[in-house]
Amino acid sequence: MGTGEIGQGGVVTDAPSETAAQGWGNVHGDEFCQLVTCAVAGEEFAVDILSVQEINRMVEVTRVPKAPAFVEGVINLRGRIIPVLDLRRRFGMTETERTVQSRIVVVNVGGRVVGLVVDSVSEVMRIERRAIEPPPSMGNRPGAEFVQGIGRLHDRLLIVLDLNRLLTPAEQASLDGVKP
Amino acid sequence: MSDEMEEIRNDFLVESQEMIELLDQRFIILETDPANAELLNEIFRAMHSMKGSAGFLGFTHLVDVTHRAESILNKLRQGDMTVTPQVITAILEAIDVVKLLMADIRESGTDAHVQTEAVSQKLDQVLAGKTGGAAAPTPAPPSTAAPTPAPAAAPTVAETVAKPIPPAEPAGDSAQASTKLGEILINEGAASKEQIIEALDRQEHRPPLGEILVQSQVISEQTLDAALQKQQVKGTRKGEEEQTIRVETRRLDSVMNLVGELVLGRNRMMKIGGGLDQSHENDPLVRELGETLAQLNLVTTDLQLAVMKTRMLPIRKVLSKFPRMVRDLSQKMGKQVRLELQGEETELDKSVADEIGDPLVHLVRNAIDHGLEPVADRQKAGKPIEGIVCISACQEGNSIVIRIEDDGRGLQVEKIKAKALANGVVSEAELAAMDPRQIMNLIFLPGFSTADQVTDVSGRGVGMDVVRTNIRRINGTVEVQSQLGKGSQITIKLPLTIAIIQALLVEVEQATFAIPLGSVVEAVKITRADIKTINGREVLNLRERVLPLLRLTDEFEIQPDVERDKFYVVVAGMGEKQVGVVVDRLRSQEEVVIKSMGDYLSNLKGIAGATITGEGKVVLILDIAELLQDIRMNHLAEVAA
Repeated sequence: MGTGEIGQGGVVTDAPSETAAQGWGNVHGDEFCQLVTCAVAGEEFAVDILSVQEINRMVEVTRVPKAPAFVEGVINLRGRIIPVLDLRRRFGMTETERTVQSRIVVVNVGGRVVGLVVDSVSEVMRIERRAIEPPPSMGNRPGAEFVQGIGRLHDRLLIVLDLNRLLTPAEQASLDGVKP
Repeated sequence: MSDEMEEIRNDFLVESQEMIELLDQRFIILETDPANAELLNEIFRAMHSMKGSAGFLGFTHLVDVTHRAESILNKLRQGDMTVTPQVITAILEAIDVVKLLMADIRESGTDAHVQTEAVSQKLDQVLAGKTGGAAAPTPAPPSTAAPTPAPAAAPTVAETVAKPIPPAEPAGDSAQASTKLGEILINEGAASKEQIIEALDRQEHRPPLGEILVQSQVISEQTLDAALQKQQVKGTRKGEEEQTIRVETRRLDSVMNLVGELVLGRNRMMKIGGGLDQSHENDPLVRELGETLAQLNLVTTDLQLAVMKTRMLPIRKVLSKFPRMVRDLSQKMGKQVRLELQGEETELDKSVADEIGDPLVHLVRNAIDHGLEPVADRQKAGKPIEGIVCISACQEGNSIVIRIEDDGRGLQVEKIKAKALANGVVSEAELAAMDPRQIMNLIFLPGFSTADQVTDVSGRGVGMDVVRTNIRRINGTVEVQSQLGKGSQITIKLPLTIAIIQALLVEVEQATFAIPLGSVVEAVKITRADIKTINGREVLNLRERVLPLLRLTDEFEIQPDVERDKFYVVVAGMGEKQVGVVVDRLRSQEEVVIKSMGDYLSNLKGIAGATITGEGKVVLILDIAELLQDIRMNHLAEVAA
């Protein structure tokens, strides 16, 4: 059991979470960063490896009534209960059946431990920072606000996610307002 | 370096906080027992060491105030000044300023934001003997003291007493409590000063003082034994304080969490073991496993208890601020109030203790402000002028019960009725069906206050509602009982700990929910035909009572698979209100550890949290109090429609 586990729901002070809170852009002096790539509805997404705590196979998710729509439910992560978000739902994409490839990527979002359901996890890759460009204007397309940049790698395009924004302040307010 | 400083500062804050609590208490005692030299010394030492640490850390304002207070205390200690209410008030004010300074240090790291001039001036005036109660600097050595039995009582007895205007005692009239045998005997009136001095003369190179006194038949042997015992008690008290170590609450919390995990793991193992026992009955290994599991079970239960105990605090910690508060309030309101504290040693979980302070303050304020009549009214009613507010605590089974009683005017049922109607919280028909006790408990509804006048102490109609909300948050209940003209009694029932609870697991379609056993009254089996509807709402006629029903499928929007004909109804309630929760199956009774679901799922209506069952599944815990409120809202909406 890692040190981050002990303070149940408390402040997680591991380096990864702090890095995540500051954004990964200029924290590491070197020119490379490592990304975990995963597939959601045919598109390739990537998250900074420093915010990823672990990657698990799908487990039974307990539905939480009255929770916000994009919250899939909660799971038991070795005795700790964490919320799980379905990225397909989060990005307004069509939902599909889970497969053996489905994974829960457990990340630290602004100090919170959250599971993200993805269709599959592909690989961990090193990529030059220069190769990540700011996101092109995507208008009001759902999910556009969570994009931190686009990574170009030969013929592949990676959508690098901004985990801090995955729960935006506006959404936070609406969550707080669940109970009047 | 800065980390180190911060650590030192935090230690200082924690220590000073404790000292301030101690000082507050001690001063109240001192007021009723002004001649207690030991007490004065204790106060002086606390103030002195606070000053020392503050000086070391460079908090100049704090040093300034504590230094002046210390000077006054020194004079009191040496008998150059007498203890009067005015002096005490000035020092208590200084302590209030010190509290502000502490808060400032905690927030900003310096003590520069608090104005201290006013209190410094006041302290200087007291020091110069300029206030009304200033006494002539006549030293009062023990040798001139006349025997006074009452004021020299031990601190523990006087601790529970706070009088608004204690009789100011002249300096010469008081005896100094001391640890010396001779002085104790003089104070008790067992021997005169001359007899002691004579005995002391003879004591040179001879047997102990007590024996000489007995021999010369000044005192009896019993008197000597009693006095010697007293001497020992006073001498040993110091040592006890060193038997503890300070542990950060965070660490205890993490130990508690880990034990919670262990309990869940144990539950799971027990289930697996039980399964193996049935399938491999004759395997010796399985039998051995069973024995090991039984042992593990025992140890885990003991460990759980032991860890829970480390988090237990005596309720004294919470109650210690009340004597001071009651003193201030009663002076402000011009009432005479005696505060009685009982069962201060009752222990409760720290998390519960943290939450219960504010509700208690509200209730005690209410008791003094609304409960106790003004002096004139009390006299008219033939009651003693001094009103009594009693806070008592005790453990009843798995709960802690705290009662706040006053001997005031009691609740006026008619007034509550009128107010409830005017506020629209109940209808006439509903009122007619209620008994007086139910009506009294309406005061806990939002927006309720029967006080004709809003004072700055209470009467805004937010208090009782907040009290109940806070108490419910820690799974407690609160109830009021009252007798007109005789007084009121408020009973708070709290769980021993809020981390681990007994729960009833129920199933609705595919989902499993846990209902805290504390709120479960009974479970009954019904068929669909038993469910009736009144005004479009489903109810159950249970033993001549109409019980509103709540279907979790509706409440939580769960799709029913099939039309069912048989249900279970779990009758759950908080105090007077009850609801029947309709479920498909009752599964088991389990000990569950309440876990938070993270901050963005913490505010869901009707759900108190989640837990992990023996099978490792996540199960949501229902919040019965909130579901009840929900039902009530729906009901009101219909009445209004």
